[in-house]
Amino acid sequence: MLNVQDTAVGKVSTDTEEPIGCRIPYSVFTDDAFYKAEQEHLFRGPTWNFVALEAEVPNPGDFKSTFIGDTPVVVTRDKDQSLHVVVNRCAHRGATVCRARQGNVPHLECVYHQWAYELNGDLMGVPFRRGIKGKGGMPADFDLKQHGLVKLRVEALNGLVFATFSQEVEPLTDYLGPLITKHVERIMCRPIKILGNQRQFIHGNWKLYAENTRDPYHASLLHLFHNTFGLYRSTQTGECLMDESKRHSFLYSKAGSNDAARDSEVYQDSRSFDTSFSLQDPSLLAGRSEFPDGITLVILALYPNLILQQISNTLAVRQIVTHGPDSFELVWTQFGYADDDAEMDAIRLKQSNLIGPAGMISMEDGEAVEIVQQAVSSDRKARSYIAMGGGGADDADHLVTEGAIIGFWQNYREMVGIEERVS
Amino acid sequence: MDLSTLPRTELLREVTDLIALHAELIDDDQLEAWPDLFVEDCHYSVLPRENADRGLPVATIFCDSRGMLVDRIVSLRRANIFPVHHYRHIISTSRIHEVRSDAVVAHTNYLVLQTRNTGRSFVYNAGKYVDEIVFSSGKFLFRSKKAIFDTDLIDTLMVRPI
Amino acid sequence: MDVIEMERLRLCPIDAPQDGEPVAIPAGAFPALAVYNVDGQIYVTANTCTHGNAQLTDGYQDGATIECPYHGGAFDIPSGAATTYPCQIPLKTYEVTIEDGWVTIDAPGAPES
Repeated sequence: MLNVQDTAVGKVSTDTEEPIGCRIPYSVFTDDAFYKAEQEHLFRGPTWNFVALEAEVPNPGDFKSTFIGDTPVVVTRDKDQSLHVVVNRCAHRGATVCRARQGNVPHLECVYHQWAYELNGDLMGVPFRRGIKGKGGMPADFDLKQHGLVKLRVEALNGLVFATFSQEVEPLTDYLGPLITKHVERIMCRPIKILGNQRQFIHGNWKLYAENTRDPYHASLLHLFHNTFGLYRSTQTGECLMDESKRHSFLYSKAGSNDAARDSEVYQDSRSFDTSFSLQDPSLLAGRSEFPDGITLVILALYPNLILQQISNTLAVRQIVTHGPDSFELVWTQFGYADDDAEMDAIRLKQSNLIGPAGMISMEDGEAVEIVQQAVSSDRKARSYIAMGGGGADDADHLVTEGAIIGFWQNYREMVGIEERVS
Repeated sequence: MDLSTLPRTELLREVTDLIALHAELIDDDQLEAWPDLFVEDCHYSVLPRENADRGLPVATIFCDSRGMLVDRIVSLRRANIFPVHHYRHIISTSRIHEVRSDAVVAHTNYLVLQTRNTGRSFVYNAGKYVDEIVFSSGKFLFRSKKAIFDTDLIDTLMVRPI
Repeated sequence: MDVIEMERLRLCPIDAPQDGEPVAIPAGAFPALAVYNVDGQIYVTANTCTHGNAQLTDGYQDGATIECPYHGGAFDIPSGAATTYPCQIPLKTYEVTIEDGWVTIDAPGAPES
């Protein structure tokens, strides 16, 4: 019998009744057992998780509270400019130490009993450590050094800050691989400025969004704004490539390659091809060619919790924060380059209408995740079928592929396990 | 018309009427009529308070012409995929913040309840309108409307204007 | 003005502060002050803890150390140095002169001695 693991590894041809492709049991999206296992083995396991843009914590004492999976962490900038990431949980009795989303402080201090920590997480001191009037106080062998905040390994790549709980995981650029590193560096090519956040709560499992962002197949079919107003079609040139480990994906397209005759032939009269509408105010799409390679859309999905994107002139990171098996938060942080002129600022702000929770070409992803979650929740034995592009975790020089989704599941299977956890 | 010469009560009534009509057109799904409440050269933005407080410019929806408002509605009708839902605006008393000869600035709190086909209603968006209203072509119209929202965790997505 | 500048401020009789029982001087020309007797030697410091808003004279004097009642932080009385967390900022100290059986310090505006 051909099992799921075999089919996901490659295009295995056998004489069984199982079709070629990857099948994922839906309980990965609904069961608490998977959720708990992935917090431990994936988010707190051998992965590098995005936590901040360096531009969010530019000055000594700046901090940002965020999450890795659902573990609260704080990113700090120390007096010597170094970056630290610590678990946002007091070493005393577990209170949240840093309660604001961001700010600037000389040190971190828990409000419950005022235990105070250096910006690197070292415990500075404890009130009433020696009691009062000689009564009470901590045991004589209480050692501040043993009671700091939990410290993570931190690495930054061109302004993107990542952290890991793992002592074993390879250095960040090895983890990303040369292709992904190159394209991170392409977008993060010079100093940036933060333009703002948007936060989106999605009633679905975070891995449905991991699939969605590795799925160029849906782009022209679900996101009809492209087609309605003639912005993007699957006949555009593009590729969907992965790093060697196939955990990350790089999906890009170039807008300059529209071919009207070919489009008509491909789409004929499908619902998603309608060029009879034009924008009343086409300034929405007016932009500048910023990159010499002519690429107008990049979706970099960095395993496990980050999407770095360039869509026309919009630049953003999207951070996945998990809330439970059936919900996650997507934190969008949009940015421009520090040397943008006023016109470029205006272009980025206007094109911001394309992305984010109200983005005219991105809002549907929230709905796509939810309609899957709603349908899979009651049938835990059922499985998906993922085979577009050939059924293997293969790179594609086109956009009608699900190869990168299969790559994601291969890594998830290795790290968390799938079949053995299905109850 | 010099708005600063109008009695305050009359101005407040006009402001209140326009804001109520804005809410009603959205709640009743008469979205095609919604852009007509704005002057041609208008600003409409829906922005998280988190950004407004930090002086960051990103808005969830940002339009700087009536044409962009129309495009938003065409996109909603023709292109966008979203959960079936209704809005219900609850609008507070408006406060006139400033009266200039050509415009009145009013502040109004709002709540938008959303009901999807589950039948349950929930607070979708709570915030404050900062409206700049002008008298143009015989009507009071928005020259600028900002909905600055506290509810910065947007539930699923935002397709309909606030 | 010269006369005033030369004046000293009388805080309390020399026998008022006992070892372990400092005397609080309410805020007036100066911020609130604490007068201590450490092994027969008289010292004066600010009375408000540099960490929390509490009076050190409400705390616990143990020899040359004054412990704040609010969080258990402490200072070295002679030097004002913060010795125990969470106190980190030193306490202001005042040079004491004994005059006619009174504990005195330089009045405000007096030239630094």
